[in-house]
Amino acid sequence: MGNEWKISEVISCDVLILGAGGAGLRCAAEILEKRLGCRVIAVTKVSHPQKSHTSTAQGGLAAVDPKDPVDKPIYHMFDTWKGSDCMADQNVVKRIVEAGWEEILWLENRGMHFSRDVDGKLARRTFGGHTLNFGETSAYRAVFEADRTGKGIMDTLWGEVIKRGISFIHQSMATELLFNGDRCVGAVVFSPKSGKFTAIRAKATVLAMGGCGQVFKITTNCRQNTGDHLALAVETGLPVMDPEAVQFHPTGIVGPGILASETLRSVGGILRNKDLEAFMERYAPKMKELAPRDLVARAIETEIREGRGILNPSHGIEHVWIDLRHLPEHVHKTQIPEVASFFKKFVNVDTRTELCPIRPSNHYHMGGIPTNEDGQVLKGPNDRVSGLFAIGECACASFHGFNRLGTNSLLELITMGRFAAQKAMEDLDQELPPLPPDAGSRTFEKFSSYFAGHSKVTVGSLRERMKAVMTEKVGVFRNEQGIKEAISLLEELKEEAQKCGLRSRDLLMNQELVERWELDNLLTSAMLIAQGALHRRESRGGHFREDFPERRSEFDRHTLVYMEQFGKVRIDWKPVDMTLYEEGGPYAEKFGMIERKY
Amino acid sequence: MSQDQDLTLRIRRYDPSTGRSWLQEYRVRAGGILRFTDLLRKINTEQDPTLAWNSSCEHGQCGSCAVRVNGKPLLACELLVENAVKEFGTKEFLIEPITVGPVVRDLVVDLEVAYRRVEGMKPFIIRPRENPYGEGEYRIDPKEMDPYVDATRCINCFCCATACISGPRSFVGPNAIMSCVVRLLDPREDAKAERFKLLHGPNGVAHCHTSKACSHVCPKEIDVAHFVRLAKSLRLKEKA
Repeated sequence: MGNEWKISEVISCDVLILGAGGAGLRCAAEILEKRLGCRVIAVTKVSHPQKSHTSTAQGGLAAVDPKDPVDKPIYHMFDTWKGSDCMADQNVVKRIVEAGWEEILWLENRGMHFSRDVDGKLARRTFGGHTLNFGETSAYRAVFEADRTGKGIMDTLWGEVIKRGISFIHQSMATELLFNGDRCVGAVVFSPKSGKFTAIRAKATVLAMGGCGQVFKITTNCRQNTGDHLALAVETGLPVMDPEAVQFHPTGIVGPGILASETLRSVGGILRNKDLEAFMERYAPKMKELAPRDLVARAIETEIREGRGILNPSHGIEHVWIDLRHLPEHVHKTQIPEVASFFKKFVNVDTRTELCPIRPSNHYHMGGIPTNEDGQVLKGPNDRVSGLFAIGECACASFHGFNRLGTNSLLELITMGRFAAQKAMEDLDQELPPLPPDAGSRTFEKFSSYFAGHSKVTVGSLRERMKAVMTEKVGVFRNEQGIKEAISLLEELKEEAQKCGLRSRDLLMNQELVERWELDNLLTSAMLIAQGALHRRESRGGHFREDFPERRSEFDRHTLVYMEQFGKVRIDWKPVDMTLYEEGGPYAEKFGMIERKY
Repeated sequence: MSQDQDLTLRIRRYDPSTGRSWLQEYRVRAGGILRFTDLLRKINTEQDPTLAWNSSCEHGQCGSCAVRVNGKPLLACELLVENAVKEFGTKEFLIEPITVGPVVRDLVVDLEVAYRRVEGMKPFIIRPRENPYGEGEYRIDPKEMDPYVDATRCINCFCCATACISGPRSFVGPNAIMSCVVRLLDPREDAKAERFKLLHGPNGVAHCHTSKACSHVCPKEIDVAHFVRLAKSLRLKEKA
C-alpha cells in the first residue's frame, strides 16, 4: 500500500475558520466586510456550506427589538438564566442579548427572507421559556423565516461571503491544531476528495465545528456532527467544559429522530399519552407544552417508562403523540408546512387528521470548548490560548448553561461569530509565526495506524454499540451505575476500534477511513460526556441523575474535563459568572441562584 | 404495509484509483419505513464498508444525498422503502450518482463546478436599494413576497439540474436561474438590469426547452419551471 504520509501543500491566510455553518460564516462575513483584502479560508466538512447543520434549524431567532413596547432585554436575560438552571455565564448572556437586534437587522438588510406581518415588518412568534416581566406571560420574541430560519441565515451568510471573496475548502476536515509555543498558528486539513493533507497557516484560527449528536442513537443531528472539535481540543491538552450538559429535544419524529420543531407546541400542539391524556398539565401546570425542553423531555420519557407510551411496530420504539388535529388548516399550511411534510414523508402520517408519533431526540450540546465572551479559547479557568477561537455549538461560552432555550442557539451563532471576528481582527497586523517542524506528524501517526488493524469487525457496528449504550445509560435519565457501565463499554470499544481492519486501502474519498477517524472522535466525545455526568452528582437542566434528583449548590460551577489519553481524565471546576447579580441594580435578585419552577 | 421487504439494490460504483466503473448488486432486507440512506448505511455496516455515498442532515433539508433511483433524481433520505416499492412497482432498484459534476467515488459527486454555476447567478443582494425606513428593517408586504418566496425554499440538491434535458454544458440550470429570479423580485435589490443580463447571458434562460422536468422531480415540490418561465416573460415585458 503506497499511501503518502506528507503535507502536500502549505497555505497561508489571515483567518482560518474550521467549520462553515452559521457561526463560522458570520465570523467570516464580519471580517471580510470590515477588512477589505483580508484572506479568510473556511474549511467545511460537508460538500458545500449550504449543507451545514445550521440550515436545518426551523423555528426562529430570539432577539428583543429595542422599540418593542412590552419586551425588554432584561427579560430575555432572565429567561436565558432561568432556563439554563443558573449555569449560564451572565457576562455572556448580557453581551449576546444586548447585541441580538443589531444582528437581526444585519441579516435582514443583507437579504434574509424573514416572515413579515401585515405592515411588512418582521413577524414574531412565542417560543418555549421566553417570557415577559420575569415569567409572567409568553413573549413574542422570535423572528423567523417560516419554519426554515436556519436555512435563511445560511443562505444569507453564504451569499455575503462569496460576494466578498472567501476561499472555501469543501468536504474536508481539520485533523490537528498547530502550535508555535503557546500560540495557535493554524491546522492540518485532510481532503478526502484529493486524498491530500494541507497545512494552513493563520494569524487566527476559529473553531466553528458544530456538535457531537452522533454519539446518540436517536438524534436530530446531521451525519457530520461527530464531536471532532472535542477530540481536537483534548488531544491538544485543552479542557472541555460541561460535556455532561446535553439537550434532548422533546419532539423527535419516530424513528429517525428528525426534529419536529418547538413551533408545533407554540402554535398549540398538545402532547398526549396512550390514553390520550394531555399529560403536560401534571408536569408544568402553568407553562404546559411550552415549558423548557428538558422538563418536557423528561415528562415524555416518564410517561413511556410508566407504561403510558405507544409502541411503533416498524421501529420497535415507544413514543407519545403530539396532537395537531384541532389546529386550523391555515396553521398547517403556513406555519408548520415543513414539519407537517416531515410527518408525511418519514412516517406517512397526515398532521391534519392523525396523531403524530414523537419521542425525545438528542438535539444540542450545551457543553463544548470553553471560551470567554469574545470567543477566545480558555485552557484553564482563566488562561486563554493565543490565536485560537471557538464559537457556536462547538464552544461553551456559556450562554445556555445546562439547558438551551429554543431560538437562542441561532442567536448565539451570529452574535458570537461577530464578537470573535472583532477580537480576531485586533491581531491581524502581527507577523505570521512559522509552523512547527513536526506539523502533521500526529495526524500521520493516527491515520497510518488505521490501516494496521486486521479484525473483521466494521466501524459501523462499533458505532452502533456506542450509540445504544449512550442513549440508554447517559441519555435523558442517568445514574452512577449506568454511567460506569457505559464508561467500561466505551473503553472496550476503543480497544476493538484499534484492531479494526479497513477494507478500503487508499486515501481517495475513502469513506471508511473518514468514519474510522470519526469513530475515534465519537468515542472521545462519549467518554467526555460520561465522565462529566459521573462527576456531577446532582441534577441540573438537561443533566438528570436519578440517584441525585435535586440541584445541589456545591455544583454551582462549570465542569472542566481534561483527557489527553483516552479515559484518563482530570477534572477541574470554573465558577459561574454572576455579573448581573453582582452589579446590583433593580433586577439583581432575579439573577441569583433561583429555583426553576414552571 | 410496513413489514420487512427483500430488496435488490444495484449500485453504480467507481474506483478513482483504477478508473474502473461497475454495477454491484446488494440484497437487503429492510423494514417498510426505513429510508434509502438507512439502506446504504446498512450495507456499509453489514456487507460492504467500501461503498461511498453522500449525505448530511438526512431529513431533506440539505440536499447532499441526491442520487438517481431507477433513473429518477431524488433525495435518498426521503425515499421510504414502502413508498419506493409502490412508486416504482418493483423491489429492484438501480442507484446511480447525479449527473451535474464529476464522480469522485461510487455515489459521491464533486459539487464544486455545479455550485459555481449557482454562484455565477449571484445569490445575494448585488446592490441594496436605499432603505426608505432608514436604519431599521425594510418593510416588505407579505403579498409582495408571495411571487418569489417559494423559490427561496430551494436547497440546491441539483435534482432539477440532473433531470433537465438541456444539460449543464449549455444551460446554467433551473436552480441557478431560480436563485437569480428571487433577487430580481426582491424589493431590496437595486441591480435589476444586471439581474436581467445574468438571466439572459450565454448559458441563461434561452437554453431552457420547457420540458418542466425540473418541477416534476423537485423534492421540495417547488414549481421550478414556473420561475424559469417567469424569468423569460419578465424579459419580454422589459423589451416591450
